[in-house]
Amino acid sequence: MIDPLQTSLKVGASGLEAQSRRMRVLSENLANAQATGKTPGSDPYARKVISFESQLDEATGTNFVKVSGIDRHQAPFRIEHNPGHPAADGKGFVKLPNVDVLVEVADMREANRSFEANLQVMRQAREMISMTIDLLRNG
Amino acid sequence: MSPIQLFNVVSQHNRWLSARQATIAGNVANVNTIGYKAVDVEPFEMAMAEARVAVKATNSAHMVPAAADGPATRVQDSDTWDITHSGNSVSMEQELIKAGEVNRAFRLNTSVAKAFHRMMLASAKV
Amino acid sequence: MIERISPSLSTPAAPSTLGVDATRPVAGAGVQEAAGVDFASMLGDLAAKTAGDVRNAETLSIAGVRGQASVQQVVEAVMSAEQSLQTAIAVRDKVVSAYLEISRMSI
Repeated sequence: MIDPLQTSLKVGASGLEAQSRRMRVLSENLANAQATGKTPGSDPYARKVISFESQLDEATGTNFVKVSGIDRHQAPFRIEHNPGHPAADGKGFVKLPNVDVLVEVADMREANRSFEANLQVMRQAREMISMTIDLLRNG
Repeated sequence: MSPIQLFNVVSQHNRWLSARQATIAGNVANVNTIGYKAVDVEPFEMAMAEARVAVKATNSAHMVPAAADGPATRVQDSDTWDITHSGNSVSMEQELIKAGEVNRAFRLNTSVAKAFHRMMLASAKV
Repeated sequence: MIERISPSLSTPAAPSTLGVDATRPVAGAGVQEAAGVDFASMLGDLAAKTAGDVRNAETLSIAGVRGQASVQQVVEAVMSAEQSLQTAIAVRDKVVSAYLEISRMSI
C-alpha cells in the first residue's frame, strides 16, 4: 500500500534534484561566458542547456521528473574582431561563447523559484504526515 | 451513539487530499518539462459517490494510485490557466494555491477527528 | 476477564448503548437466564471486538514500520483500538463494581 504523502516527498525531491542540476549548468554557462579557445580559429566554450522529462511511476501513478540530457545549444558563436587575440583566425576574428548573460541570470532566477516551490510542496506534505501522527498524541 | 459516519468521511477526505497533494507535487516537479500537461484528481464528491476499488485510467498514460481500503482516485487533466509555447501547461501559482487549500482542509480534518476522538474517550470514562 | 464475569451476571433489559446502561445497577440474582445470555454474549462480543481492534492496530503498525501501510491507516487503526479499549475498560469496571455490590448484599 503506497502512501501518497510519502510519494509527494519523493516527487518533490526529484524536482529539487532537477532544479539544482539546472542551476549548476547555468552557473557553468555564466562562469564561462567569455571563455575562448586557445589556438587560432578554435571553438570557444559552447553554451549548455538542460532538458527535463517526466517519468511516470507505475506503482503510485505520479509523475517524477528527471534530467533527460545536457546538450550544447545550437546557436552560432559570437564573432568579434580582435586580431591580437591568441584565438584569432587568419582574418582576425575571434569566436566567443554563445552565452547571453542576461538570459542565464533570468533562467537562474526561475530555477530558484521552481526550487523553492518544490521545497514548499515537500514542507506541506511533511506537515500533513506530522498532523496525522499528531492525532495519537495526548492533549 | 458513536460518530462513525464522521470518522469515515473525514478519513476519506484526508485520503483524497493526500492523493491530490501527490499530483500537485508531480506538477510542481515538472514545471519545466517540455510538453508536460498538468494533472489533478477528480472532485471529492465523485470519488466518494462511486465506491470504486478497481483501478480505472482515463487514458493509458494515467495510472491511478491504488487505495486498498477506499475508493481509488482518478487522475485527470486539469484546467490550467494557460499553456506555454513549450507545451507545458503547469501554472505554478495555481498549483501553490491548490496546495494551500489542501493543507488547510487537511488541518481542519485532523483537528475535527482529534476532537471527536478525545470526546469518545472521555465519554467512555467512568 | 469479561468472559469469566458475564455468566454470573444478568440484567432484565439488554443495554442499547454500553456507555449509558453500564451505569444502571444490576438486578438481583434471581433473573431469567435467557436475558442473561443476551448481556453475556454482548459482553463477549465487546471483548472480541476490542481484542480484534487491538490486534489489527498491531498488525498495521508493524506494516507501517515496514513501509507497507500508509501513516493514515496506522493512525486510524490505533485510534479505533483506543476507542474500543476505553469502552471495554469502562464496561469491565462497571461490571466488576456491580458484582462486588451484589456480593455484599445480605440474603
